[in-house]
Amino acid sequence: MSDAASSVIFSKPVYSDALSSPTGARRRLVVVQDARLSEVAHLVRALQPETAPIELLSLYGGLAAQIVQRSFNDPDRLKAGLLGALAAEAVGTRLYVCGDESFLWRIRGIAVRAGLQDDELELIRVGSRRQLYCVHCSTLQEISDETEIVCANCRVRLMVREHFSRRLGAYMGVCIDPDHPHVEART
Amino acid sequence: MSELLSVRVAAVRALTPVVREFTLVAEHGRLPGFSAGSHVVVHMQARERKFRNAYSLLSDPADPGEYRIAVRLQDDSRGGSRFMHEQVGVGDRLQLSPPANLFSLHSLGRHHLLIAGGIGITPFMAQIAALSAAGASFELHYAFRGGLTDAYADELARRLGERLHCYDAHRDVFLDLPALLAGQALGTHAYVCGPQGLIAAVREQALSLGWPPGRVHWEAFEAPRPGEAFTARLAASGQDIAVAPDQSLLEALEDAGLDIPNLCRGGVCGQCATAYVAGDVEHRDSYLDPSQRNALLMPCVSRGRCDTPLVLDL
Repeated sequence: MSDAASSVIFSKPVYSDALSSPTGARRRLVVVQDARLSEVAHLVRALQPETAPIELLSLYGGLAAQIVQRSFNDPDRLKAGLLGALAAEAVGTRLYVCGDESFLWRIRGIAVRAGLQDDELELIRVGSRRQLYCVHCSTLQEISDETEIVCANCRVRLMVREHFSRRLGAYMGVCIDPDHPHVEART
Repeated sequence: MSELLSVRVAAVRALTPVVREFTLVAEHGRLPGFSAGSHVVVHMQARERKFRNAYSLLSDPADPGEYRIAVRLQDDSRGGSRFMHEQVGVGDRLQLSPPANLFSLHSLGRHHLLIAGGIGITPFMAQIAALSAAGASFELHYAFRGGLTDAYADELARRLGERLHCYDAHRDVFLDLPALLAGQALGTHAYVCGPQGLIAAVREQALSLGWPPGRVHWEAFEAPRPGEAFTARLAASGQDIAVAPDQSLLEALEDAGLDIPNLCRGGVCGQCATAYVAGDVEHRDSYLDPSQRNALLMPCVSRGRCDTPLVLDL
């Protein structure tokens, strides 16, 4: 797909390279997929922990920095930890999320359901992994920058549409050729 | 613009020495429904001139049989609030623009923090009815001068109990905004209606505590302040229109027969934005950003200067 075509897909997320620095934020929660990544150290430095409190919640690993941090090693435990932290926060707190695209949107969904708005959180994307949703069998699967793929569950040949679902945190995979949906002929 | 509604005054109540409440019913047929936070513009035909003032609807949106508005007599009234207080009684007929809402409740709010100053209580009367009906979480902070601008304090105390917090300046009880805004749970939306000073204080305090602007909603229906007399010139026809000191440019244009779209008549909604091609403008609106002000003005509140004509692209 050409750049010109992909740029007209309204739903495709655009990730900013630079952090916005909200005025007055009292506290910052940072939720990361892997605290050992250099992007996380860079993010925490950019947030200037000396100016206002920061709490780091990571799925995996820790960060060599003098900040409050917890590592959960399990997605469900991370979710419970994040919900507990958000319940104690007041309006004015900002959330920063760093990880691959599917991680970003999973955490964003938890935060929005807990009451945050999109202008109170920032998504910092790492890597090129993304999720694809097969519209025929509802299976979510990890892909990279492929434009075609065979669904791991139903074996339908899928075109990767650039339409992005915020609810699912995934791009849409649709059958390329309805007359010949599968890779191999079925007997 | 939509057609005007013809209404009849069914009841008038003096709530305080400076606040009167009017109950309005339809002359023919039914009144249109409205959402909580809506206002109407009342068109008043006084002897020498017309007034058009915006008033919030304070009746329950679930009961569309009548509209209620409350009018505070302004000390420096240009005539509208004085007309309502002194000339309008039961049985009189008025014309209204249909309801429009520039102060609606945020549908995703998990808690609603309502802050009213004086007559700014009016939109909240309807919002409280809607929030109560929906079982939503809310609290009301009501600052007033006891015996003067506390029009609904007693009624609200009965309806809201502990959700009402009153601040009577005559008893030296004041709202502590930093404390109020500092501890609000995630998902809270704040709403403020009242004098400009209160609105500015809430917005500034919220910003300094890190509230994103989208969580603070405000409505200021300030009657246009008087200014110097000046002349507006219509670029297309060359016609000159004199604007009196106590008249807004919008009112002068309307009196000259021009139909300018408008909703709030207070410099906030953006509907009446008009292009100008020459002249100095005293911008008084809260809508246009500085770059837009080079070419646009809001005639409901903004004015020209006395020395040179203001040339409008009309």
